[in-house]
Amino acid sequence: MSNPADHLDIGALQDLKEIMENEFETLVNTFISDSQNKVDELDAVLQQQDCDALRKVAHSLKGSSSNVCAFRLSELARQLEMMGKEETLEGADQVLSALRVEFRAVSDILSTNL
Amino acid sequence: MDNQVKAVETEGEAIETLRILIADDNDSDRLILQTIVRKEGHIVYTAKDGQEAIDIFKEQSPDIVLLDALMPNVDGFEAARTIKQLAGDNLVPIIFLTSLRDATSLADCLAAGGLDFLSKPYNRIILQAKIKAFASMRRLHETVQAQRDEISLHHDRLVHEQEVAKQVFDNIAHPGCIDAPNIKYLLSPMAVFNGDLVLASRKPSGGMFVFLGDFTGHGLPAAIGAMPVSEIFYGMAQKGFSLQDILREINKKLKRILPVGVFCCASMVDVSFRKHSAEVWVGGIPDVLVYRKQSRQLENLKSRHLPLGVVDSDRFNTDTTLIQLEKGDRVMLWSDGIIEACNPQQEMFGEERVMEVLRNTEDADAMFDNLVAAVERHTGRGEQDDDYTMVEVTMVGEEEMGNALGADGKSYMAGGPKDWSMTYELRPLTLKEFNPLPLITHLLMEVPGLRPHSGKIYTILSELYSNALEHGVLNLHSDLKASADGFARYYAERTQKLNELYEGCVRFHIDHHPVKDGGVLTIVVEDTGPGFDFKSKEENRHKTEGYSGRGIPLINTMCRSVRYLGKGNQVEVIFDWHVDV
Repeated sequence: MSNPADHLDIGALQDLKEIMENEFETLVNTFISDSQNKVDELDAVLQQQDCDALRKVAHSLKGSSSNVCAFRLSELARQLEMMGKEETLEGADQVLSALRVEFRAVSDILSTNL
Repeated sequence: MDNQVKAVETEGEAIETLRILIADDNDSDRLILQTIVRKEGHIVYTAKDGQEAIDIFKEQSPDIVLLDALMPNVDGFEAARTIKQLAGDNLVPIIFLTSLRDATSLADCLAAGGLDFLSKPYNRIILQAKIKAFASMRRLHETVQAQRDEISLHHDRLVHEQEVAKQVFDNIAHPGCIDAPNIKYLLSPMAVFNGDLVLASRKPSGGMFVFLGDFTGHGLPAAIGAMPVSEIFYGMAQKGFSLQDILREINKKLKRILPVGVFCCASMVDVSFRKHSAEVWVGGIPDVLVYRKQSRQLENLKSRHLPLGVVDSDRFNTDTTLIQLEKGDRVMLWSDGIIEACNPQQEMFGEERVMEVLRNTEDADAMFDNLVAAVERHTGRGEQDDDYTMVEVTMVGEEEMGNALGADGKSYMAGGPKDWSMTYELRPLTLKEFNPLPLITHLLMEVPGLRPHSGKIYTILSELYSNALEHGVLNLHSDLKASADGFARYYAERTQKLNELYEGCVRFHIDHHPVKDGGVLTIVVEDTGPGFDFKSKEENRHKTEGYSGRGIPLINTMCRSVRYLGKGNQVEVIFDWHVDV
């Protein structure tokens, strides 16, 4: 497993954990299942070349991943959002692959940190 | 110690519990936000999209709304617009939750009614600060709203009170016979609150009083004085009091009740249609104008007196100017409102313009209307807004005026007792201590139309009474009064005899009988004294002159007849009176 600090803002995550208390587990589970759906959705819309849908789904993932302190995941989502917005899907597949890898890593770290 | 202070501080800053709606389609984001807000002690409602947010808003009307911009179904922008509409006058702060960064998107949030943004990732401190700021903004808005409502309530109440007051004023300070055919007037419906007052009353004798008053100040304080003025004016005018009596009474009353600096500028006219004349009194108000129809000349009657309510009764001057008026001649009274009426450039209409309009009018009948039109042209306002008051009284023939006090066909002779007699016997205990003259005079003045003769009647009564008491009951001799020394002795004796009085009495027999336009008043005064040999005196053609001490010659000039009866202890006076005084 790679260094958690490469994927998540550990300090901020600690704060979040404190705020959420018992709810933290629910949050992580919600985030993971929610984001899994979004990643799958990104796959689908990219195949359909639906730029507007890509922008919206990526925007949503950008926001939620930033809230769980996953800055790298958020950044990758932002790149997809921009592509959707600018309607230039060149290289989007590569970004999505990287995002998928990043999501796996973030999920693993969050799950083990419960 | 520290703890205590802290506790107090915490209490002072105690965060109020707000009801906050959070709308976000992203489950994990919503969960985080909801947890943070709940931890701050607020009540949270959550919605997954814009439509749900609108539904919950309708149901719960939360204090603050946190709204994600991009949501499925109804998005944040549309939800914000609907919520704003639903909130109406109330301020419901909407804070957009967004990770949008571009200016256009942020501007869209504001345009939709958002007051602020909260960007992801959420920061607890910033969120807390924003909720606090908007909660206090909301309270401020509520306070302003409550005060606005209160002001509007007060305003409504004030208007209502003014309406009620106006009704009362209109009933009391009604303009009397102002609709008589010889009067034209201009009086704003709210004039009483401008301090203006117009009163007109027919006199029992057939003449007419017209009064125009202008109180200092505006609003209720200016209106208050109108009530006593009106009551005195109508009460006294109908009882036949003179212009002088009425003005004196009004002045006395106003001087007593009004605060210093509040007074009533006024003019009053007493018109006699029979004599074709008018008496005019002007106190502190613009010149009364007299327009001569024949010569088309204007005469100014300047104010010669202080306004009403300024000086004490003993310094109050009721001197009037007597003018003769031909048919068609006019007397015009006004408040300074006309002269001070300003155009949009704040330029007053002025006395010059008034005179100019009047001089340039060919047809006297059009004079009044021309003046009104000229003022309205000057001010550029309609009649509704004016606060100037003006009255024009035209001299007409008596026959044109119809019955005095008689729009309802009632004669001035109606109302009081006019066909009656009475006997009033005063015995020693009463004679010692009581002067019956004011009471009897008062009784007589209830006879409709008799009031203007009160002076003469009082003189007659008082002469007869003192004769009966002093020469009759007390048996004093008027010869005593021939010298200064005797005068004093006379009164000393009178006092002594009165104190010792234990028998005897004075009797009044009074009879009033009405005739057309007047009446016959018979007064017989009888005493229990020895009387005197009046017959021999009469035969000697001395008639009444022989009793110089008894004041009879004076009485004789005032009435139809004076006769002694019985053994000289009765005297009968017959007094004829007519409304034409």
